[in-house]
Amino acid sequence: MTNQDLIEKIQSALGDQIQKTELSLGDAVVFLEPKNLPQVAQTLKEDADLAFDYLSDIRGVDYLEWDRDPRFEAVYELHSIDHNHSVRLRVGIDEDEASVPTISHLWKAAPYPERELYDMFGIHIEGLENLKRIIMPEDWDGHPLRKDYPLITEEVAFSFNRDFKKELVKDKPETRENIWL
Amino acid sequence: MAVSEQGLLERNKETMTLNMGPQHPSTHGVFRVILEMDGELVNTSEPEIGYLHTGIEKTSEAKRYSHVIPMTDRLDYLNPPGNNLAFCLTTEKLLEIDIPKRAQYIRVMMCELARIGSHLLWLGTHALDIGAMTVFLYAWREREMILDLNELISGVRMMTSFIRVGGVAQDAQPEWLKGVRDFVDYLPDKVDEYERLLTNNPIWMDRTQGVGVISREEAINYSLSGPCLRASGANWDFRKKRPYSSYEEFRFDIPVYRNGDVFDRYKVRIDEIRQSREIIVQALKNLPEGPYKAEDSKVSLPPRETLKTSMEALIHHFKLSAEGFKVPRGEAYVPVEGPRGEVGFYIVSDGSVIPYRVKLRAPSYMAIPGMCKMMEGCFIADVVAVIGSVDIVMGEVDR
Repeated sequence: MTNQDLIEKIQSALGDQIQKTELSLGDAVVFLEPKNLPQVAQTLKEDADLAFDYLSDIRGVDYLEWDRDPRFEAVYELHSIDHNHSVRLRVGIDEDEASVPTISHLWKAAPYPERELYDMFGIHIEGLENLKRIIMPEDWDGHPLRKDYPLITEEVAFSFNRDFKKELVKDKPETRENIWL
Repeated sequence: MAVSEQGLLERNKETMTLNMGPQHPSTHGVFRVILEMDGELVNTSEPEIGYLHTGIEKTSEAKRYSHVIPMTDRLDYLNPPGNNLAFCLTTEKLLEIDIPKRAQYIRVMMCELARIGSHLLWLGTHALDIGAMTVFLYAWREREMILDLNELISGVRMMTSFIRVGGVAQDAQPEWLKGVRDFVDYLPDKVDEYERLLTNNPIWMDRTQGVGVISREEAINYSLSGPCLRASGANWDFRKKRPYSSYEEFRFDIPVYRNGDVFDRYKVRIDEIRQSREIIVQALKNLPEGPYKAEDSKVSLPPRETLKTSMEALIHHFKLSAEGFKVPRGEAYVPVEGPRGEVGFYIVSDGSVIPYRVKLRAPSYMAIPGMCKMMEGCFIADVVAVIGSVDIVMGEVDR
């Protein structure tokens, strides 16, 4: 089944629950709203012709600098082991009350990347038990992969010539604006 | 313990919490797991990660594409060419450029050498964890040769950064090709030697067979990938399923085993070393002549000699060095098969010379919940065998 056929099949199976589909550089991509995610994921997993039984990854993207609505996006990559095809689900998430339902009841692998989504972007995962930070320390302020979180150099710790090294630390945060493009 | 009415010893229902790591030698990095023990048996395990977080994904959002490549080496530090390849293939997909055949073959050889090296390191440390000391010394002896080959071609022993967007950094020199040929001639006897030490060794079999079992359905549901998934009976390898970088031109088998225990994961990796050797032999035999990087001067540097004669080449050289190349707006993901499983970068580009978002799909990170599932019901002594058999690399877990 080519990705074009795959898209048509997904469109016919889930017509009213998805916003649009597209072929992005040859990959099948489906856009949908957060509230429809559990139902769409379940259909994709359980339909015999689609059978997306493998959750490859969940990523967050912050489109703050793109003048685009909604601001956040959670991107789910699914594979089918039996049919050898893949689909990418792009779920747009609003900035206020950023939240997306969990799919951990379908894939036991989901809690880890979902917790990362919460940790790095501050997107609340509805229905996920044990929702806490995973990579950053629990008392960390802010969500590092948001675009309004500055990229700065960490202060030097544990060094015998700390005073000398302190001079090397830049105060000015390195952002996309002050890198010469 | 209390004595019941029948005079039998009744087990106390209290459990003990045991902390393992983050500096435990068998966790291969800074990985901490909190085990809830019922006597000798593990009830539940709570992993704790993040000790090695370096913010590579955030840093990538402020660096040009070519500057991200050396950072990808440091993610899975046992498979630098595989990470470079995953990053470059995704960028090349966004750029929509073709890579010359010779470059693709050199990439395949680098990746397969890295796969052998990674499996050798895994074999040595895993056997050492379980108590077989000799294999460690033998496996590291052979891995040293791979590091020497890396040094010969790229000047660096581990973090090669040799695969670049558009091709590879330099052409394969005859000395390197000769070194690789000598290595593949030398390797098969040594793999037999490891197998003689371990495969039919009763102690090894006792420690590994039936330990840390995970079924095919569960392995898929837990998103295990690579050797762990294939040891559970799923035939899933991106080199066969979605051939990239000319893998469709090589003849090789995908080892698949059914039991899903520590022993089968060991067998899969041993067989993969042999298959990787087959791929390198074929690549050496059929290595095409031609350029080693794309001749698109917008992406790869023009040849050094042309700088003295061609104005255009000089301009391209300056623009590329000073500014970098612009990648069209869009997003892409190209999975490749690393030694630990599916590796891939999800790159979002806003049309500038800097990636807007880089996300690594790290097989070790996704394998941790599955690994904890394997530990449930194990003896405490087998926890070390299970952690070793999954082969996690903390560099890519914490990123």
